[in-house]
Amino acid sequence: MDVFLQQLADGLMWGALYGAFALSIVLVYRASGIVNFAQGEMAMFSAFFAWQFHQWGAPLYLAVLGAMVVAFLGGAAAERVLIRPLASAPNHMPLVIITLGLMLVLNSAAGWIWGVQSKEFPSMVSGPVLTLGLVAISQQSLFVVAAVTVVAALLFILFQRTRIGLAMRAAAANPDSAQLIGVPIGRMLMIGWGLAAAIGALAASLAAPQLFLQPNMLAASLIYAFAAAVLGGLDSPVGALVGGLCVGVAENLAGTYISWIGHDFKQAVALALILGVLLLKPEGLFGARKVARV
Amino acid sequence: MRIVELLRQPRAELDPPRWLARSTVALVILMAAVAPLMSAPYVNFDRSMVLVYVVVGLGLNLLTGNTGQISLGHGFFFAVGAYLSAVLVENHDVPYLLLFPVAFVVCYLIGYLFGLPALRLHGLQLALATLGLALVTPAVIKRFEHVTDGQAGINIAGAEPPAFTGLERDQWVYYLCLVVASLAYLVVRRLATGRIGRSLIGIRDYEAVATTLGVPATRTKTTVFALSAALAGVGGVLYSFVVQYVGPEAFGLPLAIAFITMIVIGGLGTVPGVVFGAFFVQYVPQWTAEINQSAAGMTYGAALIVFIFVLPYGVISLVRWALGPLVSRIPGTRRDIRRATRAGEDPRELVVSR
Repeated sequence: MDVFLQQLADGLMWGALYGAFALSIVLVYRASGIVNFAQGEMAMFSAFFAWQFHQWGAPLYLAVLGAMVVAFLGGAAAERVLIRPLASAPNHMPLVIITLGLMLVLNSAAGWIWGVQSKEFPSMVSGPVLTLGLVAISQQSLFVVAAVTVVAALLFILFQRTRIGLAMRAAAANPDSAQLIGVPIGRMLMIGWGLAAAIGALAASLAAPQLFLQPNMLAASLIYAFAAAVLGGLDSPVGALVGGLCVGVAENLAGTYISWIGHDFKQAVALALILGVLLLKPEGLFGARKVARV
Repeated sequence: MRIVELLRQPRAELDPPRWLARSTVALVILMAAVAPLMSAPYVNFDRSMVLVYVVVGLGLNLLTGNTGQISLGHGFFFAVGAYLSAVLVENHDVPYLLLFPVAFVVCYLIGYLFGLPALRLHGLQLALATLGLALVTPAVIKRFEHVTDGQAGINIAGAEPPAFTGLERDQWVYYLCLVVASLAYLVVRRLATGRIGRSLIGIRDYEAVATTLGVPATRTKTTVFALSAALAGVGGVLYSFVVQYVGPEAFGLPLAIAFITMIVIGGLGTVPGVVFGAFFVQYVPQWTAEINQSAAGMTYGAALIVFIFVLPYGVISLVRWALGPLVSRIPGTRRDIRRATRAGEDPRELVVSR
C-alpha cells in the first residue's frame, strides 16, 4: 500500500509538470491552430538560459524569472517571424514543418552553445524530505505542484477576468469577428505564444534538477505532455492539467506494477494512451467536438 | 525581394518530348550503373545511402506530399526492416534476397494496422501519433533485447556478391540498392501521375469534396500509408546491408525528421524531387560536420525553415525554372502533339517537318 501511495504522489508531481507542458501546447493550439512540435525544445532552451543566468551569479529565483521573460519574448518572436507569414496558407503542412525545423534548430543550438554533457541544475527549494503518513515527499515536489497550481490560477484569472484575456479568447475563437470589433489579432496570438513559452520555461526549470540539463532532456517528457494534451482535449487548458495528472499517475503506476513495462518502456504507455484517446474519443475529455463543412 | 518572389512561384512540370525523356532516363541509369565500377568503397557507400533514402523518400512523399498526411513514424518502419534483416539474416540464416519481400509485407501489414485507426484522424493528430511512434522506437528496440541485442546492436556480414559477378561487396550492395530504388521509382511514379495520384491530391486539398466525389478517403489514405511504410521497411533492409550494423539509437526522431527534410527539400509531391532531397540528406551533413557535431541537426532544421519560406516547392522547382524555357523550345513535346491532333494533322509529321 505504501508503495502505491508513494507512486501516486510521485505520479502527481510529474503529472503537474506534464500538465504545465501540455498547457503550453494547448495555448499555442488555441492561438494558431497548430501543434507546436518545438514546444519542448523551446522549454529546454529556456532552462539553459536559467542555468546560465544562475552561473553568472543571479539568485535561482531571479534566474528562472529571467529565463521566463526571455522565453516570452522568444515565443512571441517565433510567432511573429515564423508563424504569422504562413498563417493564411490553405493547410497546416508548412506550419508543422516550420515547428519541426525550429525543434531541430533549438536542439542543435543548445548542444552547440552549452555542450551535450548533462549539467546539474539546482533545485528551487531544498530541505529535508517531508513524511506525510506513509509517503515521503521532497520539498521540491511540493514546490512543483504549488508552482503549477499558481500558474494555472493566474492563467484562469487572466483569461476569465481581464480584458486582454477576453480579447485573447475572442481572437482564438473567431478571428474574423474579433478583428471587426477591434481586437488586434496578431498581438493576441503573439501573447499566446509568449505565455506558452514562459510556462514551458518554468516547467523545464522545475524538471531540470531531476532530469539533468542537456539538449535531449525533455524528449521523453514531450510524449507524456502530448498524451496529456490529447487526453484533455487539445483546446482545453483545464483538460491539459487534468490530462497531465492522469498521465503522470498512469505512467508511474504502469512502470511499477506492470513488470513487462518496467522503467524503460513507460513511454509506450503514452503512445498507447494517445492512440487510444484519438480512437475512442478524439475530442478528449474536455475538448470541443469539431464538425467539418464543405 | 523580387528574387524571393520568383523562387516562391510554383513551376509547371517539364514537358519534354518522349525521345528526350527516354534518353535522359537511359543516360542516368547508364551513369548510375557504371559509376560504382570506378569508385572507392566509401564513395559507393555514400551513393548506396542516397539510394536507400530515395526508396524511403518515394513512399513518404507519396504519403506526405501527395496525400497531405505528415508521418514522423517512418523511422519506425525503417527500423523494422533493418532489424528484420539483421535478425533473420544474421541469426537465422535466411537468404538475404528473401528479406525484400518479407520486409515489404511485414511493414505493409504493420503500417495498415497502425494506419487503420490513426488515419481516421485529422492531419495534425496523425503527426502527433506518429511522433509518439518515433519517440518510442529506440525504447521498443531495447525492450525486445532478447531478439534485437538491445544497446549492443547487431553486426551484419551478409549480402555477399555471388562469385560469378566478380564484384566487390560494396559494388554488389550498390547494385541491389539501384535496382530496388529504380523499381520503387517506377511504381511510385505510375501511382503519383495517374488516376490514383489525382485522387490522392483530392484527398490532400479537399478531403470532404473528394469523398463526395466518390474517393474512398480513409481506405485510400490507409493504403498509401501502408505502402509508404512498406517502402520504408525495404529501405531499412537496404540500410542494414549498406551500413552492416543496426543499433537502437540510429532510429530515433532525428531520422524521422531527416526523412521529412528530404522530401521538403526535394519538393513535396514531386517524384524526381526525392532524388535531390536524398543527395542533400546524405552529403550536406558530411560537409557541415567539420564545423561542429551539432551542425547536422542545425542544417536540417534551418533547411526546413528556409525552404518553406524561400523555396516552398523544393529544389525541383529551381530545376524546372532553369530548364523549362529550354525544354519547351524543343520540338515534339506532348503539348505540340496534342495541338496538332486537334488541328487534324498527323503529329508525327509535325515533328519531322520542324
